Amino acid sequence: MNKPALKFSIMTTTVALAAMLAGVWLAEIYREHDSRAMLLPDQVITLFPDPKPLTAFALTDHKNRVFDLASLKGKWTFLFFGFTHCPDICPTTLAVLAHARENIAKNKAGTEDIQFVFISVDPNRDTASKLRQYVEYFDTTFLGVTGDNMQIGNLAEQLGAAYQVTITPGMENYPVYHSTAVFLLNPRARYHAVFTPPHDAEAVSKRFKVVRELEAGNPT
Amino acid sequence: MRWRHPVFGCLILALTLVPAASDVPSVSVRHAWVRETPPGITMTAGYMELRNNTSQPQVLVAASSSGFETVMIHRTIVKDGMAGMVHASQIELAPNASLIFAPGGYHLMLMNSKRTLRAGDPIVINLKFRGGLVLAVDFEVRK
Repeated sequence: MNKPALKFSIMTTTVALAAMLAGVWLAEIYREHDSRAMLLPDQVITLFPDPKPLTAFALTDHKNRVFDLASLKGKWTFLFFGFTHCPDICPTTLAVLAHARENIAKNKAGTEDIQFVFISVDPNRDTASKLRQYVEYFDTTFLGVTGDNMQIGNLAEQLGAAYQVTITPGMENYPVYHSTAVFLLNPRARYHAVFTPPHDAEAVSKRFKVVRELEAGNPT
Repeated sequence: MRWRHPVFGCLILALTLVPAASDVPSVSVRHAWVRETPPGITMTAGYMELRNNTSQPQVLVAASSSGFETVMIHRTIVKDGMAGMVHASQIELAPNASLIFAPGGYHLMLMNSKRTLRAGDPIVINLKFRGGLVLAVDFEVRK
């Protein structure tokens, strides 16, 4: 009688892998003084030494435009999985990311090559127009993306992002569980780093500044 | 002067202290705020700091507000790398201790708001405690 109509869950070994890497982070980089970068554990970000290339996926953004692998090319992408009926974690994280973007905008490198993407794992309720109202409230440049369950699962699995939606007939506020990490993809569409919660705007923008400077001097 | 007599002094002091002492509520609330609702969204969360001013446990058993259809006590938990919410039917405040409702932890889940909430709007949430105490708390809507 009370059986969930749809239940799916994504868990991959990438999460465990990220945990094992235990936040390898380049703590200080003084490029101008030609000193060496140090690898230190970090609470905020885990950098992957060998960023994994993502493979094809097909989603749609809040303006009904295709959002796929090509959408990642040439831009740093901050990606967060959630749903609009989420009263606590999602608005908190999106507000932090909006603030981080403001901080990044003050850097010389600016925000031309950055995008922030909110992926709804709840396409049942989060239509394009709903997503549009939602993401634009936090920042007019934010993208709201969703798609069918298989394609959301496809991207989530590549990033090791866990989520679970239990649609229950007759239950308006069905439970949705989702990863709280913010994933950072580099302009070559590779999974570059992951920010671990609790997220802080200053910490995110400062770490990103260093990551971007490091990559700019190290194109491969 | 007669009024300077120490007995009068003590009496006046005692009289001023009595009402002051009884003014301290068994539970006080500080930093109460509700997150502004994005357009099209009727669900949000309330945060606050509860303080139990007594030497007995105080138990928050329910919350309600005329601005929302339902108010529930929730806690965000992270399990297997996923965040989700669990409903708490009641929360016990330890004697003379504080409990903080904050993003990522305990929060009042406010469902089906009757109007869009904008920063600066006042909203009253009634907190019910075991034993009958009801606190009508002013929450500030913040972005």
